[in-house]
Amino acid sequence: MVVDNLLLAFAEIGNIQTLLLMIVGVGAGLLAGSIPGFTIAMAVVLTLPFTFSMPPAQGLATMISVLVGGLSGGLMSGILTGIPGTPSSVATTFDGFPLARKGEPGFALGLGVWSSFFGGMISAVLLVLFAPQLARIGLEFQPWDFFMLVIFALTVTASLAGQNLVKGLIAGALGLLVRTVGEDEAVGVGRFDFGSDYLLSGFDFIAVLIGLFAFSQLLSDVKGRAAAQHALTDTGNIQVRIEHIRALKELAKRWTVVVRSALIGMFTGILPGAGGSIANILAYDQAKKASKDPDSFGTGNPEGIIAPESSNNAVEGGALTPLMALGIPGDVTAAIMLGALLIHDIVPSPSFISEEPVLAYSIFIAFFVANFIMLGMQSVMLRVFVLVTRIRMYMLAAVILGLASIGVFALNNVADDIWTLFWFGILGFFMRQFGFPLAPMILGVVLGNIAELNLARALAISNDYTLFFTRPWALFFLIIALFSAVFPLFQKARTEGAKWVRFYAPALLTCASLPLMLMGGAVRPGLSLLCLCLAAFLCYKAIKAAGAPA
Amino acid sequence: MSSVNRDTIIAIALLVTCGGLYMATLEIREPDYGQLSPATWPRLIIGIVTLLSTIYLVQSVRRGPTPDEEKIEWSGFTAFFAQWRNVLSVFALFLGYLLILPWVGMLLGGAAFVFLLLSVLGPFSGRDVIIHTTIALLTVGGIWLLFTYGLGVILPRGELTGI
Repeated sequence: MVVDNLLLAFAEIGNIQTLLLMIVGVGAGLLAGSIPGFTIAMAVVLTLPFTFSMPPAQGLATMISVLVGGLSGGLMSGILTGIPGTPSSVATTFDGFPLARKGEPGFALGLGVWSSFFGGMISAVLLVLFAPQLARIGLEFQPWDFFMLVIFALTVTASLAGQNLVKGLIAGALGLLVRTVGEDEAVGVGRFDFGSDYLLSGFDFIAVLIGLFAFSQLLSDVKGRAAAQHALTDTGNIQVRIEHIRALKELAKRWTVVVRSALIGMFTGILPGAGGSIANILAYDQAKKASKDPDSFGTGNPEGIIAPESSNNAVEGGALTPLMALGIPGDVTAAIMLGALLIHDIVPSPSFISEEPVLAYSIFIAFFVANFIMLGMQSVMLRVFVLVTRIRMYMLAAVILGLASIGVFALNNVADDIWTLFWFGILGFFMRQFGFPLAPMILGVVLGNIAELNLARALAISNDYTLFFTRPWALFFLIIALFSAVFPLFQKARTEGAKWVRFYAPALLTCASLPLMLMGGAVRPGLSLLCLCLAAFLCYKAIKAAGAPA
Repeated sequence: MSSVNRDTIIAIALLVTCGGLYMATLEIREPDYGQLSPATWPRLIIGIVTLLSTIYLVQSVRRGPTPDEEKIEWSGFTAFFAQWRNVLSVFALFLGYLLILPWVGMLLGGAAFVFLLLSVLGPFSGRDVIIHTTIALLTVGGIWLLFTYGLGVILPRGELTGI
């Protein structure tokens, strides 16, 4: 059965048309990734309208290709010009640009390209291994648990806004509110329509995403007149040949950095809202801490390129894992993937892999294939990346806005969707200006009806509200949500040297052990005991450290 | 008014919006079926936004204006327009594009929008006009052809132009 499904999935992805679309997708992603100010999420969201007429597997393969290309495109401009193409490649420039300026751009690019490839492959393998396992756990979830999972996802995303936790939470709640406009999905009653047919039909959530993310980003990019007319770089012709063999030898020597960084990327991707922009910095920091020569970081240390590039390409495998296993996107790009699935009337849930095995395997295969295509195209398109960074921002903005309006119309053949793009573009722009993070709002829009439907289902099954706090999984997500809400305070207190921060991790472990114990069986209570032992050990260490003379 | 800053104004605007939206939930029809009333979920979210906005308001009042905000002085419409020229131009041109779309269609309307936006945001000389016209026609025309003939999507035709 598995082999049959796998063969069918290969047939879906392996045909010439899909492979050509994937090549175009990787190329477009690489170009988008190399343009500073043009985020990967924007590239993926703008691709979405073009995929609606394709079969689901083909459309998703194209979008995955754009995503994989985008994750790798940032390193080219980062290493050659010192300007990271995407936030995911910021740390790559710390050592990539100095190494290129030392006269070794080919080696630096080789390290970046192959680290991206291995990071992506490790994450693809982990996605294939973990998604079905997580989906099996997801089958245990009941509406109460799903509702709390959504709350957890929104809280974690908001908490990543750091000092702006309240703004992040407001943004997430506003996203939920946006999704309530129009007919209620459960009983079909109109809400907030104010007598308008446009509002009664609700906002198309892809148009909302493109408006919030792409339109507002482009407005921010061209806000200043001088910046809008400025070319991103004025670098002359760069003649570089990527040194593949030397880079591979270097990676073989430093394989632990690749694996560790890929795992950091994968884990960061699984966390809702945390993406490549966090993973690459975390992996760089860990590589520096673990290095025998930390002082050489920032001057062209190869590990300073390997770590961020391995991790940022591993992020998407992580972000796709909860999407495929639970139907909950791990980040904005995964949320757009969810939109692509919904366009084809496929609703991801824990039973997605078992009910749509061919499509699920097609996604896995597309992820692998896209990494190979990316590897080949990086070398071919090297000169184009540098040329792209010379395009003036106003040209990009004008063209993309024009094309976005056509693409948004094509989603449903409804001109009202272009109005939605416009209104949410304005809203997104002002939110950016006033310091409100957009990621929680986007996740709120995506998860809004999942939360409401599960709340309705939960209340239809039982009027007992305590089930939201007493069911083990619901309690587990609630506890993590509360601790993640406190996380910005924890970070602030840690920098101020407050003593209570030493007890944050033990408290989290102790609280999390309770729902694990309630889950029954043998493994989870065992894990619960392990958590308690670890909490006791950390507590002991914290008390000992508190008693020690300063 | 010394404690009023930008965040305070936004928080008050959010609270007013919440009040208005709560009033709107009173208009939501209550059906005789279903366990969860259609108004419950929006009211729950409005309650949360109200609570968070109140916290935001208290935080902003306590913090007072930041040094940057204190420096900002109203220097007239000319300065305001100069600072926000590009953003206002994009809003105005996109709005214009949406309004003329039913009359001129997506091909001509889209090309005109891209051309005008390029000319407003970028430099404006004879050479630039040629470049901007070429970009607008090639990109919008190319995508129009792709959607119309490649993907079989009928894009809006203009009542006046017929294309």
